[in-house]
Amino acid sequence: MSPRERIVHALLGCLMAAAFAVLYAPIILVSVLAFFPALRGKVDWSNPSVEAFGKLAGNASILEALLNTLIVGLTTVAVSLALGTLLAYRTSRRNDWVSRLVEFVIFLPFLLPPIITGLSLLSSLQQAGIPRSLVTVVIGHVLFVLALVYRLLLNRLRSIGASIVDASHDLGASGWQTFRYVLAPSLSSALLTSGVLVFALSFDETLITVFLSGDDSTLPIRLWAMIRVGFSQDINALVMLVLAFSVVMTVAIAWLLQARRSRAAG
Amino acid sequence: MTDDSLSIGISAPGRKPVFNGPALFWFVICALPVVAVCLPLGLFLATGFWHVDNGTMVPALSLDNYVNFFSNPTYVSVLLQTLTLAAEVAAGNMLIGFGIAYFIWRCPPVWHFPLLVLGTIPLLMSYIIKLYALRSILGNNGFLNQALVAVGLFDKASDLFLFNQTSILITMGIIYLPFSILPIYLTLERIPLSLLHASADLGGSAWQTFRHVTLPCSLPGTVVGGMFSLILALGDFVTPQMVGGVKGFTFGRLIWSQFGMAFDWPFGAAMATILLVLSIGVIVIAGAIIKRTEAI
Repeated sequence: MSPRERIVHALLGCLMAAAFAVLYAPIILVSVLAFFPALRGKVDWSNPSVEAFGKLAGNASILEALLNTLIVGLTTVAVSLALGTLLAYRTSRRNDWVSRLVEFVIFLPFLLPPIITGLSLLSSLQQAGIPRSLVTVVIGHVLFVLALVYRLLLNRLRSIGASIVDASHDLGASGWQTFRYVLAPSLSSALLTSGVLVFALSFDETLITVFLSGDDSTLPIRLWAMIRVGFSQDINALVMLVLAFSVVMTVAIAWLLQARRSRAAG
Repeated sequence: MTDDSLSIGISAPGRKPVFNGPALFWFVICALPVVAVCLPLGLFLATGFWHVDNGTMVPALSLDNYVNFFSNPTYVSVLLQTLTLAAEVAAGNMLIGFGIAYFIWRCPPVWHFPLLVLGTIPLLMSYIIKLYALRSILGNNGFLNQALVAVGLFDKASDLFLFNQTSILITMGIIYLPFSILPIYLTLERIPLSLLHASADLGGSAWQTFRHVTLPCSLPGTVVGGMFSLILALGDFVTPQMVGGVKGFTFGRLIWSQFGMAFDWPFGAAMATILLVLSIGVIVIAGAIIKRTEAI
């Protein structure tokens, strides 16, 4: 690098440091505040405690929201992985107009503003007379994440190549046997990555869920309702736990993707 | 054994199966997402041509909702304001996101992965929590004000940073920034080193290489990053509500209000259709730019 390039590099480094500080400072601050009681806007720094976390464990509505979130997340993972894998498998075998139509359609909820997906589902449910429940939330979440699962799985299937599937067919295996014994083992890492990613997205999904959840709210919706009222140590404690969970999941996803990439490269 | 078991995978010509199980199975699998996306969307778009009479929706086709919208200067100005806001967020994030992605790319390779993860973690962090945290920082009682007063830049806490259009701009910029860092980095990483070496060997200066190789090659990622920010900012209705206060009205919030307080679903659906058309326009333009750069 020339001296001038080095100056640009240093300046960009400062930009990144500043941006990361802005991205992380607020959430770190909120997390730290979970340990300190505050009175009328003044934080009592002398008295750290984990009392707020204990109170959370006794809050029935939060625990219920957490349970709902887990149910929705796991169901979304199961449904979207099954559907996404099948659709990707079909495209990898037969890239016809049906595949292209499906591809276009499932990318819509992912690319369009969430408010459109949420409202169109809400409006249709209303007209069909279907009450909102966790089931409708799962439908919304599956539509939102399906494109990602499809993409990740399709990439993996394409890298496996068609010849191994043809070989399996030539040896007399049925479609299901080929899938079960030939493809599934090499898909496991892609499935794991997509699964964690889908769960993380479902865990935080707010903008579609708000239209589709009836009386059973998920954690982000419950948090939103709490936050609208104001700030409190309880909220901070809950926020800290949710953040810690998200960070763990993101690092896991990044690590899984990286492991796949380096395996593909080496 | 019949000759069926011998002709696996090859259907004999002129013979139709009595019941085609797999074909039906694949039909259902493909139809499921298509119906689940298109049917609600189609119905919803149709609602935009209806109207409300005595609290119930009347399915009579008319363009009244659209006429009402475009003939009302308040609504149109909210739309234009939101378009400007979203464009500012997208432009800012493309610029800052590019700077960060470029920096990471130019670092020694061991740093690439950790820095990229650091830039991506906020993407999967709860959206609501980020809003809550930012609001607590930007508020009158928040840390930004406290810090500015402590340093002596401000005499007293200011309302500059919360409950106005600026606070929406700042907050959206911060929340959507990771959406542009990741795609830009991914395209930068795909530029073959040989291309950069070739440019240098042919006597290109660092700036010329950047201007004629790096920048065009990374354009697809930059466009995708900007597209995400733009579309998300256009339709966002929670950020303006949380940090915008009364003054921070945006198009997304206007749509949202039709389904709450105003309870005029057809009018809301008509406005959502306008949002849909704008978003599809953005996607089509982004797609065209990407296709053109990849063709070169």
